[in-house]
Amino acid sequence: MATIDAPAPTAHERVRPEWLENIGGQLLALVAALVIALLLGSVIILAYGESPVAVYGAILTFSFGSRDGFGYVISIATPLIFSALAVAVCFKGGMFNIGVEGQYLVGMVAAAWAALKLDFLPGPLLMWVTIAFGMLGAVAFASVPAVLKVKTGAHEVVTTIMMNGIAISFVAWAINGPLHFTQQLAGFNINLRTDLFKANARIPDLGHRFGVPESAHLSWLFPMALVTAAIVWFVLKRMRLGYEARAVGASVGSAQAGGISIGSVQIKLFVLSGALAGLVGMQQLLADKGYLPVQYEAALGFTGIAVAFLGQNSPLGIVLAAVLWGVLARGETAVQIDTDVPREFVIILQGILIISVVVTYQLAQRRLLARQLRKAAAVEEIGDPAAAADVEGLAKEDR
Amino acid sequence: MVAGDIGAAIGIAFTYFTIIYLTGLGGLFSERSGIVNIGLEGMMIIGTVTGSWGAHHFTLPPPDGLGWGLPWGPIMGLLIGMLAGATFATIHALATVTFRVDHIVSGVVINLVAVGLARFLSTIFFGQATQSDPGQPHMNPVNIPLLSSIPWGLGRAFQQLSPMVVVAVLLVFPVSFALYRTRWGLRLRSCGENPEAARSLGVRVAPLRYEGVLLSGALAGLAGAYLAVEVAYSWGEGQTQGLGFIALAALILSNWNPVRLMVASFVFGFAQAIPLRLGDAPIFRLIPDQFVRMTPYVVTIVVLAGFVGKVRPPAAAGKAYEGTTT
Repeated sequence: MATIDAPAPTAHERVRPEWLENIGGQLLALVAALVIALLLGSVIILAYGESPVAVYGAILTFSFGSRDGFGYVISIATPLIFSALAVAVCFKGGMFNIGVEGQYLVGMVAAAWAALKLDFLPGPLLMWVTIAFGMLGAVAFASVPAVLKVKTGAHEVVTTIMMNGIAISFVAWAINGPLHFTQQLAGFNINLRTDLFKANARIPDLGHRFGVPESAHLSWLFPMALVTAAIVWFVLKRMRLGYEARAVGASVGSAQAGGISIGSVQIKLFVLSGALAGLVGMQQLLADKGYLPVQYEAALGFTGIAVAFLGQNSPLGIVLAAVLWGVLARGETAVQIDTDVPREFVIILQGILIISVVVTYQLAQRRLLARQLRKAAAVEEIGDPAAAADVEGLAKEDR
Repeated sequence: MVAGDIGAAIGIAFTYFTIIYLTGLGGLFSERSGIVNIGLEGMMIIGTVTGSWGAHHFTLPPPDGLGWGLPWGPIMGLLIGMLAGATFATIHALATVTFRVDHIVSGVVINLVAVGLARFLSTIFFGQATQSDPGQPHMNPVNIPLLSSIPWGLGRAFQQLSPMVVVAVLLVFPVSFALYRTRWGLRLRSCGENPEAARSLGVRVAPLRYEGVLLSGALAGLAGAYLAVEVAYSWGEGQTQGLGFIALAALILSNWNPVRLMVASFVFGFAQAIPLRLGDAPIFRLIPDQFVRMTPYVVTIVVLAGFVGKVRPPAAAGKAYEGTTT
C-alpha cells in the first residue's frame, strides 16, 4: 500500500490537463463502484435463482418506463438533494455535518408551528413563511454546534450526533405538547400527528401538468431543489465564501495565514448548511402529508450523507446521485412485484454501492495525490516556477 | 412506595446500563486503538437481529448429557450476535485501516448499511422485514444475594435481573486488566496515542487496530443481542433507539476509561429509566419525558464544550496511519 513513495516520473508519461485528471479519476472511481455493486448484487440475485438482467431491468423500467414512475423517483430525490447539499456545503470547509438529520427534524417542527399558528396569512404567503420558518429552525439548531466549535473547539461530529438525539425527543415533545392534535372527533383519541395545515400552506402540485398522478407528490419543490443546487454551485465556485471554504478545507493554517477568519467561515458554512437542511422536511410536510406525523420519514439526513458521497459533494453530482438513489428506492417495489428476490435486496445494493464508492474514491484520491507528489518531485529537480504554481493549484483543487 | 419505585427504576437502569456499557466498551477498544467508531449503533442493530435468530433457532437443548442444564437458546443468541457484530465490524476495519477511508465517513456508512442489512436478514430469518415472532426463549432472571433483600423496596433494584447484567458489571475487571496490565493493552493504547512511536518500537499497528475494531463490533453486537434476547424477547426494527449514540456519549464523558464508563453508563441508564418508572414523581411531572430523555446528549455537549470538566480523546484517534501495514 506504499503508493506514496512513488518512483520518479518516466519520460513517456503523458501530461493531461488537471481538470481531466480530477474528473477522470472520480468518474473512473464511480464506474468501478457501480460495477462492483452490480456484480455483488448479481451474486445475491443468482442465489435467489433469478436472472440479474431481469432484476436490474425491472428496477430500471419501473422508474423510467412510465411518466408516473419517474414522477415518484423525482419526489423521492427531492429531499435528498437538499440534505446532500447541506452535507456538501460543510464538507467543502473541511467539516462534517452529521446533524442534518436533527436539523431537518427541528426545521419540520418550526415549519409546522408556523403553518398552524400563522394560518391567518393570506394565499401563498403562508407557504413561503412556513418554508422560511423551517429554514430558520434548522439554522438555529445548526448554529449551536457551529458556535461551540468556533468558541470552544468542541468537535462538530460529536456535537451534531448529540444534537440529533436531542432533536428526536424534541419532535416527540412538540407533537405531544404544543402542536398536539386538536381536530379529533368526539370519541376518537388519536394523538399521532399535528393538525392538518390549511391548503395555502402546502406546496402546489406540479406532476399533474406532466401527467404524473398527484399521489406521486411531485411538487414545485423539485424545481426549487434544482435552483437551490445551482445557487449552492454559484456560492461555492464563484463567491468569496466558496473560495474561503475551500481554503479552510484544504488547510486551516494556510487559510489563517492568508488572512481568512476561520471561525467566521465555519459559522457561515454551518448556517448555510442548516438553511438547506431546513428544506429537507418540506417534501413530506408540505408536498406530501400536509401535517407532521409521529411516524415521519426519518434518516433523510443520513441518506443525504450517502448521496453527497455518491455525488462527490458537487451540486450537479448530487442531483444525479439523488435521482439514482430515487431509482433504487423506487426499484424496491419493482423487485417485490416482478421477481422472487425480497425487496430488501435493493437496500443491500444501496449499501454495497456506498461502501464501494467510499473506498474507490479514497483509492482514486490517493492515486491523484501520489501523482502530485511525483510532479512536485519533478519540479524540485527542474526548478521550474511555472510548474510549481501548477502543483499548488492542483493541491487546492484536490479538496 | 416511593422507595419501591426508585428501586424498580434502578432495576430498569441496570438493563439500560448493560446495553450502554457493553456498547461503550466496544467503542473504548476501537478508539483506544486509534479508530473512531460512530458505527456502534449499526453494529448493535446487527447484533439484535442475529441474536434474536440465534435464540429462536437453538431452542432445543443439545443431546442428553451435553446441555448441562444451560439455557442454550439465549446463550447461542448472545454468541451469534457477538460473532455477527464482529463480522460486520470487519467492514469498518477494512475501510479505515486498510483503505484509510475517513473514520467518520465509514462509521456513517456502517450505520446506514446496518438498517438495510437487518431488514434483509430479517426476511431470511423470520420471513418478515421488521420484526420476529414473539415468544423467544430467554434466561431465567436472577436475584442478587444480600442486595436483593435491602428493605424499603430498594431491594427491587437487584431482583429479577438478567444474568447478563452481572456479566456486564463483572466485565470491568478483565477489561481493565487487559487494557492496563497486559502487553497487548499497552500496545493497543500506544496505537491510539502515537502509532509512529509504537511502530518504531516494533508494534504492528494495523493488526492491533483490526483487533480493536473487531472487539468493538463483538461487544456492540453482544449488547444488541442482549437487547433482543434478554430484554425484548424478540427482534423489532428500531429497537436500539439510538442507544449506540448514548454509549458514544458515555464513552466521551468517561474520558475513554472503563471504570468511569461504568458510572456514566449507569447514570445515562437511569436517565432512560426515569420516564418509564418515575414519570409520576412530583419533580419529574414538571419536566416532559422527552426532556429527560435528552439529558445524556445535553450533558455530553456541555462537557465537550469544556463548560464542565475536561475530556481528552486518544491522540491519534481518527487519523489514518500512513506507515506500512505490516
